[in-house]
Amino acid sequence: MSKQTQRKSLDYVKKQYKRTRTMPASWYLSSYNYKYNITHFQPFLEKLKEKKLIANQCSSCNRVFYPPRFVCGKCLVKPDRWVDIRETASVATYVIAYLKDEEGNVQEKPMVLVNHDGADTCSIAMLEPGVDVKDTYIKMPIKAHWKEETEGGLMDIEYYDVMEDDAEDLE
Amino acid sequence: MGRQVAIASAGFSEHASKRSDVSMPELAQEAIEDCLKKVPSVEFDDINAYVNGNMPAFEGSNLPELWMTDWMGARNKPLMRVTTGGTTGGSVAIAGYYTVTAELPGIDTVLAVAFEQQSQGDTSVGLASVAYGEISILNNLGIPYDQLNRLLSAGAAIGVAAYQATTYMNKCRITEEDLARVVVQNRRNAAKTWWAHLKMPNLTIEDVLDTPYVQYPLRYGMVCPASDGCCAMLFTTEEKAKDMCDIPVYVNGVASVANETAVLGYDGGGSAQVDPSVQLGAMKSAELAYGQAGISFPRKEIDYAEVYAPFPNQELMWVEKLGLFEETTAPEMYETGVTARDGELPVNCSGGVNSTNAIGASAMERPATAALQIMGKASNQVPKTVHTAIGSGWGGSLNFITLLAMSDEPRRRFT
Repeated sequence: MSKQTQRKSLDYVKKQYKRTRTMPASWYLSSYNYKYNITHFQPFLEKLKEKKLIANQCSSCNRVFYPPRFVCGKCLVKPDRWVDIRETASVATYVIAYLKDEEGNVQEKPMVLVNHDGADTCSIAMLEPGVDVKDTYIKMPIKAHWKEETEGGLMDIEYYDVMEDDAEDLE
Repeated sequence: MGRQVAIASAGFSEHASKRSDVSMPELAQEAIEDCLKKVPSVEFDDINAYVNGNMPAFEGSNLPELWMTDWMGARNKPLMRVTTGGTTGGSVAIAGYYTVTAELPGIDTVLAVAFEQQSQGDTSVGLASVAYGEISILNNLGIPYDQLNRLLSAGAAIGVAAYQATTYMNKCRITEEDLARVVVQNRRNAAKTWWAHLKMPNLTIEDVLDTPYVQYPLRYGMVCPASDGCCAMLFTTEEKAKDMCDIPVYVNGVASVANETAVLGYDGGGSAQVDPSVQLGAMKSAELAYGQAGISFPRKEIDYAEVYAPFPNQELMWVEKLGLFEETTAPEMYETGVTARDGELPVNCSGGVNSTNAIGASAMERPATAALQIMGKASNQVPKTVHTAIGSGWGGSLNFITLLAMSDEPRRRFT
C-alpha cells in the first residue's frame, strides 16, 4: 500500500463511555430549489462561445470581476461596465488534492485558483492533465486552453496550459 | 454605550469523538453543571434569560433548543437561538453580552450555551446544506460535480483552508515543520486539559510529518478532530458579578465582522480575495474590539490569547492579524517558545480547536477559556497573572470573525 492511501492515526488518550440507547433514523435533505440571478452572466456566456473573455467592472471602485458578479460587495453598486480581459493568467494559490479515481488509485492533482491578467478576482480552475505537481507555484503564468466546440458554459475553458516563465530573479 | 458586562463563570462538558453515554440535552446539562459549580450562590431562579446555539443541521435534529429547555432550566424564560456556522459559539457569547448590556427590565443574568453532538447527526448533510447552493450554481453553469468535488475536497473546511495555507507558507517562507510545531504545542497542552479531546502528551514533530496528506500542504495529523461537547458561560452585570465570584472578568470589547468570501465567489462570480490569507475581516474586528476596550498596544497589553484555529497555519495567521505579533514573525515565536504555557504571550493553552472541535461550541470555548485564565480557574493555568485576554472565532468561507476582549478591570469611562 502506498504512503498516500494509508490512514495512520496518531495515538491519543482515549476514554471508553458506556453506550446509551440509540435510535437510528434517517433525514432526507436532497431536494433544493435555489434561485439566483443570471442576467449579469448572459453576455459573458455568449462571448465564451466566440472564445472571448469579458468581465464586468464596478464603476465606483473600478474592480474587475471575472467571472462577472451581480453586485460589488464593497460599494453596493451593480457593475455595469464590460471590459475585455486576456487569456493569460497566473496562479493565485494552489493545493494538491489526493482523491481516488475509478480504479482506486490515488491521484495527485494540483487544484488552482487563477487570477486572469486584467481581473481583480480569482476563480477555481484546473491545470493541464500532464503537469507535474511539484512544478506548481504561486504566480506561475498560465494560459486558457479552449475546448474544440464551445457551448457557452464555464467549462469552455477546459483547463489552463502552463506557459514558460520569463521572469528573472532580481539581483 | 450600554452597561458594563461581566463573565461570572464558564463551564465545559467532557469532549470525545463519540459521547455515546449521553443524549444532546444531557451533554448541555453537563456543561451547565460545571459552569454553576464555580458560582455556588447562583441557582436556576437567578438566571433571567438564555441564549443557545449550535451549527444548524450537523446534529440531525431541528429545534434542539426547545428539546433541551428543561435541561437548561429555561422554562418560562426568554430563550433565543443563534447560529452562524463555524462562529456560532462566538455569536452566542456576543448575543449573551448584548442581552445583558441592553438593560432590559428584569434581565441581569444570562446563561449562554453552545453545544454540538456531531456523532449523532450526519456532518456531510449539514455541510451540504451550507455549501450546496454555491456548488449547484457552479454545476448549473457547466462545471461537472466530480471536478467541483476535487476542487473543494468535497466541500469540507479543509478544502478552503488549504488554499490559505499555501499562500501563508509562501508569504512567510516556512515549511511543514513549522506547521507541525504548532500542532505539537496544541496537543501537548490538550493533554493537561481535562475536557479536551485529542490528548497526545508524547507527540513529536516527526510523528505529525509521518502522516499522509489530506490535501497538500495539510497532513492528516494537522487536522482538527470532530468532537461532541458543550460549553456554557454566565454573563451578568458588574454589581452582581462581584457578589457571585472572586475575580469577575469584564467584557470590554466585542466585534463580529464579515468580509467578502474567499475561494468561492457569489453565484458563480469571482471571489475578490485573491490572497485568502490577507483577512481584512480579522484586522477590522481587532480594530473594533480593541478600540472599545481601550487597548492601544495589543502586543504589550494582552497577556493571553485563545484563537480559533482548526488548522495550524490559521493559528499562525490569526495571531498576526489580531495584532499580537508582527506580520510573518509568528512561526519564529512558536520556535522560540514565546507562545508556550510559560512564555511571554501564551496562546491556546487549552489545546485550541486543533485538539477539540465541537463545531458549535468551539468558538465559545475560546473566550470561556480566556476568561477562566483571568479568574485563575483554568484547567491548564498559565503561571503568570493574566490581566487582559482575547478569544476569537472564525467561520464561513474564510470570512466571518468574532472577537471578545476581556480584562479583570472594567472599561475606562469618559464622562
